[in-house]
Amino acid sequence: MSRRRSNLAVSRSTVSRRTVLAGAAGALGYGALAYPLRAASAEAPRKQLLLLFLSGGASQLETWDPKPGAKTGGPFRSIATSLPGVRIGELLPHSAKIMDRLTVVRSVNSNIPDHFQGHYAMQSGRIVPGYPVLGSAAAKLLERPGDMLPGYVSIRRDGPKAYTDIGDAGFLGAKYEAVRILNNRPPENLLPPPSLKPAVADTVERVRRAANDRFGRGRAVAPLPSYDTTYEQAKVLMQRREIFDLAKESPADHDRYGKHDFGQHCLLARRLLQSGVSCVRVTHFDWDAHQDNFYWHQVRCAEFDRTLVTLLDDLEHRGMLEHTLVVISGEMGRTPQINNLGGRDHWGRAWSVAMAGCGVKPGLVYGSTNDTGTEVKDDPVKLGDLFHTYLTALGIDSHGMYEIGGRTNPVADPAAKPIAPLLA
Amino acid sequence: MSAARAAEPALHQEIDSLVARRLTELKITPAGPSDDAEFVRRIHLDLTGVIPTSRQARAFLDDRAPAKRRRLIDALLASPDYALHMARVFDVMLVERRVPTITSYDVTTADWRAYLTEAFAADRPWDEMVREILGSDGAEAKRPAAVKFYLVRDVAPHSLTRDVGRLFLGVDLQCAQCHDDPRFADYLQADYYGIYAFVERMKVHPVMPRGAQVAETAEGKTTFTSVFTAKKGETNPRLPGGDMLADPAPEKGKEYVVKPGPKERGIPTYSRRLKLSEQLPRTETKGFARNIANRLWAQFFGRGLVHPLDMHHAKNPPSHPQLLDRLARWMVEHRYDLRGFVRELTLSDAYQRSSLLPAGAGPPPAEAYAVAPLRGLTAEQLRWSWLQATGRIDQHYAKLDAAAQKPAPPKKSEPAKTAAPKTDAAKTAAAPSSGPEPAWKTRLAANQALERLSATLLTAFAGLPGQAEGEFQPVVDQALYLRNSEKLLPLLADEPGTTLARLGAMSESAPLAEELYLSVLARRPTPVETGEVSRLLSESKTPAERRETLQSLLWGLLLSAEFRLNH
Repeated sequence: MSRRRSNLAVSRSTVSRRTVLAGAAGALGYGALAYPLRAASAEAPRKQLLLLFLSGGASQLETWDPKPGAKTGGPFRSIATSLPGVRIGELLPHSAKIMDRLTVVRSVNSNIPDHFQGHYAMQSGRIVPGYPVLGSAAAKLLERPGDMLPGYVSIRRDGPKAYTDIGDAGFLGAKYEAVRILNNRPPENLLPPPSLKPAVADTVERVRRAANDRFGRGRAVAPLPSYDTTYEQAKVLMQRREIFDLAKESPADHDRYGKHDFGQHCLLARRLLQSGVSCVRVTHFDWDAHQDNFYWHQVRCAEFDRTLVTLLDDLEHRGMLEHTLVVISGEMGRTPQINNLGGRDHWGRAWSVAMAGCGVKPGLVYGSTNDTGTEVKDDPVKLGDLFHTYLTALGIDSHGMYEIGGRTNPVADPAAKPIAPLLA
Repeated sequence: MSAARAAEPALHQEIDSLVARRLTELKITPAGPSDDAEFVRRIHLDLTGVIPTSRQARAFLDDRAPAKRRRLIDALLASPDYALHMARVFDVMLVERRVPTITSYDVTTADWRAYLTEAFAADRPWDEMVREILGSDGAEAKRPAAVKFYLVRDVAPHSLTRDVGRLFLGVDLQCAQCHDDPRFADYLQADYYGIYAFVERMKVHPVMPRGAQVAETAEGKTTFTSVFTAKKGETNPRLPGGDMLADPAPEKGKEYVVKPGPKERGIPTYSRRLKLSEQLPRTETKGFARNIANRLWAQFFGRGLVHPLDMHHAKNPPSHPQLLDRLARWMVEHRYDLRGFVRELTLSDAYQRSSLLPAGAGPPPAEAYAVAPLRGLTAEQLRWSWLQATGRIDQHYAKLDAAAQKPAPPKKSEPAKTAAPKTDAAKTAAAPSSGPEPAWKTRLAANQALERLSATLLTAFAGLPGQAEGEFQPVVDQALYLRNSEKLLPLLADEPGTTLARLGAMSESAPLAEELYLSVLARRPTPVETGEVSRLLSESKTPAERRETLQSLLWGLLLSAEFRLNH
């Protein structure tokens, strides 16, 4: 394993605690982790969230929880990982080398074998509709006064599957709805219409401000600053529209993230997180392999595996992983039973979710399934518990309450709780 | 009106004395009365969903009659635009911008809009509307569009249970789906499943080539288990606080009028859906009258006496308990007459207060109703107000009138002229005999072109599907849209007949400033504002620059908080 970027000098003296640990992993053969680009800052960096959503439902058996040799196991082997004694599917060779930095839960029982419900429930930590999904919730709960950039951005390719766009923000309202980036196109209206003269735009802005100053006098201020703020935010987004511009990333980064959708989307995700957006979701499609499951997983895993490791590596290097929680989940897993078409079907009873980064214990595999993968054997995990865990890892009190419009609502399902052994 | 009732003070006077009593207790001095400009804009927005034209605003401001406010209220209530506006408000309230999972299994927007508009134009009482909405299976000969409430929710029983509770009874029992609500002793899982039992036998029945109806079965027990206590329960249909219905035991073999089959829509002999429609919209039903009284109050005062609107329970008492009781009793005594209720609300001093704080005072708590609230315009009010301020509504109706070659066409919203046309307007609304088609219908059809012109504007400001309209929450996409969208530019063009064209034809800056401010903000400009207009205009050297300056002035005011808010 040579260092991926031999041109980058590594200075051990400046590495963080985490990268020292990772440096040890480097000695085992994985390198290029210890290159902090983090700017010195007095303020603790904001916690951030990156959700990699494997839409359609990735097979746990071809990824994190292989059962080679079992009648449900399929044709692939398992491989050793950087964690002694832990093996994962051979379709994830790169991930295997960083298992010591991942946190994998093999005992998820969400019991929802359905795309629509699963998309909502796995992201909101609830079955009952109307609650904000993880990205919206975390955007709200991580918000700081004076934030100008949107709190939550969702990146995916255009086209398939309405169920990926189920309402995000719920009762948190439109402010916490994801800004949607389709096919890496920037959001609409970041530039004035070409026909508009700058002088006109200037006068519009002057007239608006003067009118607002006059109107504000003698009135209760409550809604006025929030309205003004949206114009300030608009100005900031227009000025900083390059945060959505992937052309600003180096050709080398394009290459190592991959030119395919997922690679490009992850590169944009990193760019946005680096720019200060607090939550980003990248959706990776086409895991719904009712036919030819094994072929499809070869294709999907190849994209996913390499890009994931590049991304985590990059986040680590930039000093971002310390304050960024990366969650890798789909809406469900896939059946242990292999159907007549060589496919695996929808499945929620015993499957896997992975995490990395801030707040979770690296190098941990939690829970297990039985020999054929049909049931959870140890430490069953409910979707509500996962949601609590994500929030807690982000430094959020998951037993807290939203107080919105005179209404009190628990941030996470009160019948569930964080999974303590997973938390760093 | 009976003699006994005539002796009672009018509702608007009771509102004022009860609100005043609370203000005294709180030691709060209320704001003074709104000035005419505040009032004319607010009342147009609240009763017709759109700001007044400059002509209407000017006429009202210059009217010296002491009773002009009452006259304007009555004129606006009598106009077809009142029905159109209330239909939009209730559409958003009842549908919450949902679309069904399979979008074609729905009542068309046009049919639903017509259904609601007709109901408000004809003053159909609220209990009657609710009876129809909850009773509809979409197969009625008359008004099948009422089934929309069920269809947009996919006829999904949990979704229906929650929304029947929220929207018609003011109780959000969502948490009680899985367990007794730990927060409030009066939200029980058994209440949730009591409503659920009414709706759980229904499902969507698609109709070719498009649309759907509601099918229902004759059997199905309603059981539930608490996730906290694992306690199990079983229930028949029951409304919160009411008695459990004893479903009649169906005679063997006679359970169905139409037996459900692969193609046949099941129609049971005994329908729990019809039971719901019969049982719920009654004065005896806990929360029914209070809910609608509280919802309409919130529509005009920016906040419910019980707030949030679907949180009527013991731990969340009304800010003015006696007042809410009085409003609910009025509803019952006046057979759920919504228009009459709205009239009383708007006649009150509490409604007609200024949004300017009394000198030296800090902002009072919202639930004191001491000062007129600053409310965001709804997406619908904003769309129509943009069209009005830019002159597009007048322009469109002038074109239609010209096409119809009528000599002296009545213009949209003209009833706001406070002098004579009041009776004419009342006639058009009440007596469709004046034409082959009622006024509201003509208006709905004619408005379609204006809706197309402003479609993206509505989309940019519409709330999230499935969420109640909440507090004013502006978002950055909207500011970006209003600043940068090319789709907005056609509204800001100076075509003949628009506000910009009218302003462009004026040479003196003082009258021009007045026309601009009346058109956009329904008031006359201050000297400072007139000064700003004339200074900007004096800076423009060429006719092209002058046009750009006028466009900037109009655009800038349209982006102002004063325009964005109902104040």
